[in-house]
Amino acid sequence: MEDGNTYEDLRNMREQQIKHVATDHSELNHFHDHLIGQVVHRALEKVKKEWGPPPSPFSFFLMGSGGRFEQALWSDQDHGIVYEMPSNEAHDYFLKLGKEISDGLHSVGYEYCDGNVMASNPLWCKSIEEWKRQLENWMEDESFEAIRHLLIFIDARVLVGRESYIKDLKHVIHTQIVESPFLLKRMLNNTMRLQKGIGVFGQLLVETHGSHTGEINLKQTALFPYVNAVRLLAMKDGVMKTSTLSRLDSLSDEMSRFKHHDYKDKFRQLLQFRLVYGKQENYEAVHYVTIDSLPKEQKKELKEMMKTGIELYNDTTKTIEKGCS
Amino acid sequence: MFLMNSLWVMFSAVLVILMLGGFILLEAGSTRMKNAGHIAGKTIFTFGIASLVFWAVGYGLIFGEGNGFFGLTDFFYSGYEIEGLGLSGPVFFLFQLAFAGISLTIAFGGFAERAKLTAYILFAVLFSVLVYPVIAHWIWGGGWLAEHGKQDFAGSTVVHLTGAMGAFAATILLKPRIGKYNKDGSPNNIAGHNQVFTALGVLVLWVGWFGFNAGSTLSADAAFFGFVAMNTNLAAGAGAVAALFVAWAVTGKADVPTMLNGGLAGLVAITASCAFVDTWAAVVIGLVAGFIVFYSMRFFEKRKVDDPIFALSVHGVAGVWGTLSNGLFATPELATVGKPGLFYGGGFEQLGVQALGVGASGAYAFVVSFILLVIIKKVLNGLRVTEEEEIIGLDLSEHGSYGYPEFLETRHQSGQHGESSSKSG
Repeated sequence: MEDGNTYEDLRNMREQQIKHVATDHSELNHFHDHLIGQVVHRALEKVKKEWGPPPSPFSFFLMGSGGRFEQALWSDQDHGIVYEMPSNEAHDYFLKLGKEISDGLHSVGYEYCDGNVMASNPLWCKSIEEWKRQLENWMEDESFEAIRHLLIFIDARVLVGRESYIKDLKHVIHTQIVESPFLLKRMLNNTMRLQKGIGVFGQLLVETHGSHTGEINLKQTALFPYVNAVRLLAMKDGVMKTSTLSRLDSLSDEMSRFKHHDYKDKFRQLLQFRLVYGKQENYEAVHYVTIDSLPKEQKKELKEMMKTGIELYNDTTKTIEKGCS
Repeated sequence: MFLMNSLWVMFSAVLVILMLGGFILLEAGSTRMKNAGHIAGKTIFTFGIASLVFWAVGYGLIFGEGNGFFGLTDFFYSGYEIEGLGLSGPVFFLFQLAFAGISLTIAFGGFAERAKLTAYILFAVLFSVLVYPVIAHWIWGGGWLAEHGKQDFAGSTVVHLTGAMGAFAATILLKPRIGKYNKDGSPNNIAGHNQVFTALGVLVLWVGWFGFNAGSTLSADAAFFGFVAMNTNLAAGAGAVAALFVAWAVTGKADVPTMLNGGLAGLVAITASCAFVDTWAAVVIGLVAGFIVFYSMRFFEKRKVDDPIFALSVHGVAGVWGTLSNGLFATPELATVGKPGLFYGGGFEQLGVQALGVGASGAYAFVVSFILLVIIKKVLNGLRVTEEEEIIGLDLSEHGSYGYPEFLETRHQSGQHGESSSKSG
């Protein structure tokens, strides 16, 4: 192979190198970015060989934890493609590319997305005009699923290609939110359900059955309140950044209390906590922490992080609801 | 009065026999579809066995003339009147027979989803001869515990604890169901297939319990049965409330099966004390029962005792608590048998009598059931169906047809066997 990086090479690279960055959140995510970028280039080469060069400029973007620069050691795929010039040829070409990328990512160690949020799915691989129409439809539709799709898209971050496409598309959403703040309320309702991590006696609520008995799901109980709340605040404020930390940083003065509170510190602490105490065997286990083996100090720390997340979530709920009344 | 008493107790006997319907719904709802027909069917035919055995020997072993340990007369009871009873002999017989049937059905809870049909048949006969009547004689038939003044009004010990000990022995010998525990020892939740059935089962049992407890007055005199029924209802309500609360507080989930078991635990607990305690005490007894049933369920699950319908916690642990509660709450006015409880100046005497009764009865029921099951295991070359049979379900393996044929046969053909154990809770 011309530049040596087959998927297998990339997989080996992952296996050998990831441990060196496994306990540093930022380094780990740069590593993921680099690796996924390599997979995309490799996939593009393969498609080029068969089908020639891309028929249009495009960009490949990550969503989910990848989009937010918040991946754990293991992660699943969430990605899409936007291209500039619509044509039947482009439609087929980029779907083919999307398929190649998701297969490539899979062989390098990124699970396929359960919800099929992948560039191999026509829903997430479109020309910019089609994307615009789709976003407008979603916003008009307001069904639970449509809102969920919007929330996923809001975390999009370009990894390969031009950034302006995604910026333009997000602008469409933001404009609509400014016009009808009720949309934010719909988004809030969509992410309303939190899994409780702390009981009435202040105890940590662990799984009682199944292979994760005695463990707690960090993603559901601790990370999601922060991520979901801050995404909404960012949308309200027209912040285009995608990571929870940078979103908090970029909030306007009007919402400065969110910035100045210790939300950021606690969330940063939480990301680190997941890397240190989370189970690391595979994607299925990566968000779980075994509570019994946790030192007392860390249990307390975890509870604090959870409580602060709920506080942030409640505060956000109030802010959004006020803005809609 | 003879006629009124007979009518009241006949009505109660009907209510108690209808409790089997409650058990069918409870047990089938709490287990998987592929075993539903089997569970419903075995409940009926084992009651048939219990009825025949009770007529032949059970009644005589309990109420016949004999010694402190069992009776030896009145076998093959032919319906004659019994002197000094104050109600029709056959009515009394039917009422007592119903209790024996309930105790056996409780024991079968521990067999659920994995025991051979033949094991059910043999155990039904042996339990109905060697286990239940002996304990019933001790406490209700003028046996050695009755002489001590043991208070067990309607059978927290006699019926429920005895049944639960049979279930305990069975569940130990049968071992957990396939898929209940992971390799690392963590338990999976094998969810029942129909929570509506389970809830209806509890409701049918709750109503049937008015026959069970209030009928145990054996008399319509002064309508005392109303007071007993009221206490029964209060304890059931308190048990359900307490269990839901404790499940929510401790696990964060307002778990429906736990709440239902709490209601049943309240009923089981008040069974011993319903005629001996004040109403406020009935509420306390129910609340405590709902509370302990939650911890008991968790305890046994953790100890690798797979008790699919929680017979051990609901009937065993709550039965013990209910029997002991007399020793605390029995009032001087109501304690027609034995002494008042600790909180009414009776000191520890009655509590001691209750503890002795529970200990002796529980130990006897467990040890004898265990031995009987070991023998049955030898004779049948194993108590448990084969792995394949357990996977396709006892409906098909033991009876040749599914309780839900349209649904399960399609799944069976497509090779899925109706397995539905959830991987993570």
